[in-house]
Amino acid sequence: MNREVRSEEDRRITSRLFILLPITFCAFVGGLIVWVAHLIRVSIRMRDVPNASIGISLVAIPVFLLMLGVFNYLYWGLLRNRR
Amino acid sequence: MPRWGMVIDLDSCTACGACVLACKVENNVPAVGPAEAAMGRDIAWMEIIPEAKGAYPDVRMRFLPRPCLHCDNPPCIKVCPVHATYLDPDGIVAQVYERCIGCRFCMAACPYTAKYFNWHGYSCERTANGGANPDVSMRSRGVVEKCTFCHHRLQKGRDRARAEGRELAPEDYVPACAESCPTRAIAFGDLDDPGSEVARLSRSVRAFRLLSELGTEPKVVYLTESEEETGERA
Amino acid sequence: MRGLDEARDGHLLRPILGTGRGTVLAMSVLGAGVLFGALSYGKQLRDGLGVTGLNQPVSWGFYVTNFVFFIGISHAGTLISAILRLTKAEWRRPITRMAEVITVMVLFIGAGNILVDLGRPDRLLNVIRYGRYQSPLLWDATSISAYFTASTLYLYIPLIPDIAILRDTVSRRRWFYRLLALGWTGTPRQHKVLERSMGIMAILVIPIAISVHSVVSFVFSMTLQPMWHSTIFGPYFVVGAIFSGIAALIIAMAILRRAYRLEAYVKPIHFDYLSRLLLVMSLLWFYFTFAEYLTGFYGHEPEEMKVFWSKFTGSYAPFFWTMVVCNLAVPVGILSFRRLRTVAGCVVASCAVCAGMWLERFIIVAPTLANPRLGYAPQTYLPSWVEVGETVGCFSLFILLYLVFTKFFPIVSIWEIQEGRTQGVEETVERVRSYLPDTEPASVPIAAGMRALEPKEVPL
Repeated sequence: MNREVRSEEDRRITSRLFILLPITFCAFVGGLIVWVAHLIRVSIRMRDVPNASIGISLVAIPVFLLMLGVFNYLYWGLLRNRR
Repeated sequence: MPRWGMVIDLDSCTACGACVLACKVENNVPAVGPAEAAMGRDIAWMEIIPEAKGAYPDVRMRFLPRPCLHCDNPPCIKVCPVHATYLDPDGIVAQVYERCIGCRFCMAACPYTAKYFNWHGYSCERTANGGANPDVSMRSRGVVEKCTFCHHRLQKGRDRARAEGRELAPEDYVPACAESCPTRAIAFGDLDDPGSEVARLSRSVRAFRLLSELGTEPKVVYLTESEEETGERA
Repeated sequence: MRGLDEARDGHLLRPILGTGRGTVLAMSVLGAGVLFGALSYGKQLRDGLGVTGLNQPVSWGFYVTNFVFFIGISHAGTLISAILRLTKAEWRRPITRMAEVITVMVLFIGAGNILVDLGRPDRLLNVIRYGRYQSPLLWDATSISAYFTASTLYLYIPLIPDIAILRDTVSRRRWFYRLLALGWTGTPRQHKVLERSMGIMAILVIPIAISVHSVVSFVFSMTLQPMWHSTIFGPYFVVGAIFSGIAALIIAMAILRRAYRLEAYVKPIHFDYLSRLLLVMSLLWFYFTFAEYLTGFYGHEPEEMKVFWSKFTGSYAPFFWTMVVCNLAVPVGILSFRRLRTVAGCVVASCAVCAGMWLERFIIVAPTLANPRLGYAPQTYLPSWVEVGETVGCFSLFILLYLVFTKFFPIVSIWEIQEGRTQGVEETVERVRSYLPDTEPASVPIAAGMRALEPKEVPL
């Protein structure tokens, strides 16, 4: 029963549906970085305390990138070590 | 660039309320009705605050006409999340009604309680009768508004001066409250112009600024002979 | 892969396999609550914020209170679960997922409350287009996004082996579980990847969680208003959040234990341990509150004292003193005594704490606004039915979302219970042995010595 499940599983896993998970997360984090960069640009253009935007982006963006890294590590780690 | 400021002489002010009314008429401030006003939702860009000190029979009353004080270090603009309120180059704290999302953070941050919210989309009935001021935009429901030092009058004054090929004169830009005061208690002008009446009065011995210890640097200066204000001389 | 031990843990899959009458009834009641909330908000959308009891100057009321309260509850989950995992507390095993789900679901409600509070929600995109990072509201937006992402990840990662169990045993929605199981087969290397990811997230989620409620407190403390502009607000709010979070977790545990017959998994000892933490947080909360008010009172600044007396003897006194009773007297009175630390006693204390913490947020928001600096007379604020309806809707929606989660995933972590039965016991025995002095000579390295010891040689 397990072997049947496993081969069927392999088929499903190689299907493109799985790749959506890391792609969605990457898109989310990417979008966030774009947004923060946009806000920095707006604050510079309006001459309105760019330090606040830059300071916060220096903390927030690494945190999100770290989470993206953890998810990718998990995703690829699980898919690679199925045997 | 000029720094527009106001000096209000509390010793001349009779608290007649003409400034309050003139402001409301000039700026299309809606009348909210008695029920809403009883709930505390009256919108009065210029408001007269009665202050009582002491207990009967030694009560000392003071009436404080309080417009927006147009601080040079405004606490309200720091907390706005969307650039809907900002300090413009003329020194006027401006309000962008079309961008305001109605979070009311600026209202919570203003120590002078000078900002008002449009709770119900109160309509300005005067529009129907053609009595509204066409120079001032009507505010929609759910945005914050406040005294603008009649900024529209500044724009009109500048346009007129430019059309006539001359500099802006003090008579060209007078807010409605200053214009309407029967005792001429409200003076308005450029605080940075050393020759202006406002600059001279703001350096008077009787001058003080409200809540000056907070560091907001308001551009509305009050004059009074009362000795209690010695600690707050401008 | 270690499959599901049907005989022992099959019970945990029952909510997923079928829906009983109790669930349908609960969903109907909660659905009615959500509908009430939706109707209230609909009225507000139609007629404006004027349908609330808000006014000038009390322009923030129930909605902001709810926002702070629900974000506070979110500290339950992830923080408790992360701390218990990092300290290797074995008693965490049945309750970590209950805690993590609280966090993920309640963040929706918390953020939703800010949307409800806006005068122009249709202009929400202005925050994206023109956002100003000088404003604490933007700090909120960023921090809560980070926390939501982190806690979703932190809920999902330990869920994967259980999703694999579902994939292999349940016939409904198999494609869904197969997708989310990420090809889990239970190999040792997969276990290592999983545990390492869990470890990193457990460490990462703690500073994010602390930043979230600090930033929420900064919304108040960055203004110049009396009794708001206080440096204690950051830590005060975090302590209050953890406090209310533990209480919410205890209540959730009790309800789930009764509803899904989890008495074998969620035992009185879990309530005992958590309520000891609750007792400690109650005393800690009281210490912060006392320090805050003593400082204000001692300084005796007139504008601060206006707000102070409004809370102590004025119109907000009933709320303030009820809060003190609920947050201090009831939890300390019940939880200090072991005989009273039963499941029922813990739940009573937790309900009191939740009510008390809601009141605490309320008396932070309203009295300061009601007593503005200039010579105004204090303004009263009476919430309208719209605000009450929205609050009811918030609670109902949160519980409903939680209930829906339990219908899709097991609320007790099956693989961690199984791991606890074997590995957990072994590792704990080894660990305790390693704390104690052993009888081996000093030349033998401790690590090798541990394995080489015969049980009878070690004085236990």
